Amino acid sequence: MIALLRSEWRKVTTIKLGWGMLLGAMALAALGVVAQIASNGTPGTGVPPLSDPETQKSIAASASSAYLFSVVVGIILITTEFRHFTSRPTFLLEPRRGLVIAAKAVITAGVGLLYGIACVVVSLAITVPWLSAKGVHVDWVANGLVVVMVGALFVVAIFAVVGLGVGVLFRNQVAAVISALTYLFVVEPLVAIVPVVREGYRYLPGGAAAALTGAARVQTTLLPNWQGGLLLLGWGLLFAFLGWILTVSRDIP
Amino acid sequence: MSTDSAAVEGRIVASGLTKVFGQIKAVDGLSFTVEPGSVTGFLGPNGAGKTTTLRMILGLAAATSGTGTISGVTYAQLPHPGRTVGAVLEATSFHPGRSARNHLRVFCAAAGLPDKRADEVLEWVGLTQAATYSVRGFSLGMRQRLALATALLGNPRVLLLDEPANGLDPEGIAWLRGLLRHFADVDGRTVLVSSHVLSEVEQTVDRVVIIAKGRLIYEGRLADLEGASAGVVVRSPTLDQLRAALAPLHVTITSRLDGSVAVVGATPEAIGRAAWEARVELHELRAGSSSLEETFLRLTADPTGTLEASA
Ligand SMILES: Nc1ncnc2c1ncn2[C@@H]1O[C@H](COP(=O)(O)OP(=O)(O)O)[C@@H](O)[C@H]1O
Ligand SMILES: [Mg+2]
Repeated sequence: MIALLRSEWRKVTTIKLGWGMLLGAMALAALGVVAQIASNGTPGTGVPPLSDPETQKSIAASASSAYLFSVVVGIILITTEFRHFTSRPTFLLEPRRGLVIAAKAVITAGVGLLYGIACVVVSLAITVPWLSAKGVHVDWVANGLVVVMVGALFVVAIFAVVGLGVGVLFRNQVAAVISALTYLFVVEPLVAIVPVVREGYRYLPGGAAAALTGAARVQTTLLPNWQGGLLLLGWGLLFAFLGWILTVSRDIP
Repeated sequence: MSTDSAAVEGRIVASGLTKVFGQIKAVDGLSFTVEPGSVTGFLGPNGAGKTTTLRMILGLAAATSGTGTISGVTYAQLPHPGRTVGAVLEATSFHPGRSARNHLRVFCAAAGLPDKRADEVLEWVGLTQAATYSVRGFSLGMRQRLALATALLGNPRVLLLDEPANGLDPEGIAWLRGLLRHFADVDGRTVLVSSHVLSEVEQTVDRVVIIAKGRLIYEGRLADLEGASAGVVVRSPTLDQLRAALAPLHVTITSRLDGSVAVVGATPEAIGRAAWEARVELHELRAGSSSLEETFLRLTADPTGTLEASA
């Protein structure tokens, strides 16, 4: 297993995959922070002032937007293997396919975690000096901001594993990316606003992530924070299981 | 075949291998044996089922029925598959953005081999100079060499190479020939090498397994194929009567472009006698002299013309 983890990690570090995607994720997180701090206090928005813990949580949750990138990275890491047949030598060296996919899932989650860490660092680098310049006192622990940021890391890592499962399912990179982004940008937001169905939104991956970080302001109630986290973990495991079952049952191309 | 004889170290055995893709029977009840210490050619035209057969033996594709074993066990049962079997499949398995050395190091890690092994195999295949270049810029010949290097990482005693000569220049083919002969003759390894062009491997192989449309056409020594298959050229204005007259001889009859037929499985004397007894008019009767390549093309174009090895 250690050998497989090393091999899978090398696959990540020996190709130029990450930098563009990583910069994109960091930029989106930064944008979320900047937009919320800069617009705060605009009359008529109804947003509580920066000193309000809810506003601070929402700012801290900006890093979780990186899940849009980590899901794509998860997809790319696995579909690249199908596209270039690099999975073949891997499965020849380790015919126990379940072990291979487990190593892949661990490394994919790790890459997602690194994306999350980078985005949390960026949002902190903007938030801390800016709020202190504005004279806003922030109590990171008492206001639950640390919990929100850890939640954001978790969200970004889990979505990378979701991408792995989607990638195994589709095998084709373009089809997998388009399907995943259509779901996250179109299907889930629609579910969140359509009456009746929106009651189910809280159980979807995006709804569970929102519950964990409080990032989304939606017109439906979300699960309590910890339940959202557990549910999201469940979604991650489900997609990892999907990747596993499809890998052991189908032919390797 | 008894279990004992199948369990020879390094022997590859396919027995009744079958693979169905939807409507297509890509491999159809294929059985053959590949012995250690020899180079065996796995021949057949494009689409014959060579790659699919190798994928089944390697456990990448599940057989619809039948089994493939190496040293008496399935690929998944091998204790150290990476150190027992080295394989190259047709579509070369590289990420274009990875350097040759990094490509090999990815798999050194998976096989638990030290990184310096990557440089050793690069030297064997003559790619040391290109070690740090992205595979993207590699010629087909360089890719073939890198694929071979990947297969050699674990110093395997069994090599399965799918179309390794594809894209190699004549110099490269000569180099490959030397390497494969060395593996079989000096090291006693098992070498199975597929090709859709007989002439690519003709001078390298000891034995051949020829397939067409997923079925076995011929298994045996190349030299015997030549002897067994040259056939007898017969010309007659009444071919139907000729076929009827030759039926008791259990021969294979195939049409030739010039209107004559090639009869395999009987001597000119036996054919002449049968024709005479049945009062079939003959205009030509002579021993054929087809080249090996012609024989190969004819055999694989008409998979009903099954030949048994005389050895
Ligand atoms: N994954 C697949 N799905 C459907 N058909 C396939 C697949 N792989 C191979 N085939 C078909 O099986 C037949 C044998 O293919 P292949 O084993 O690649 O032949 P060869 O290697 O001798 O050229 C061909 O008709 C090919 O189209
Ligand atoms: Mg092929």
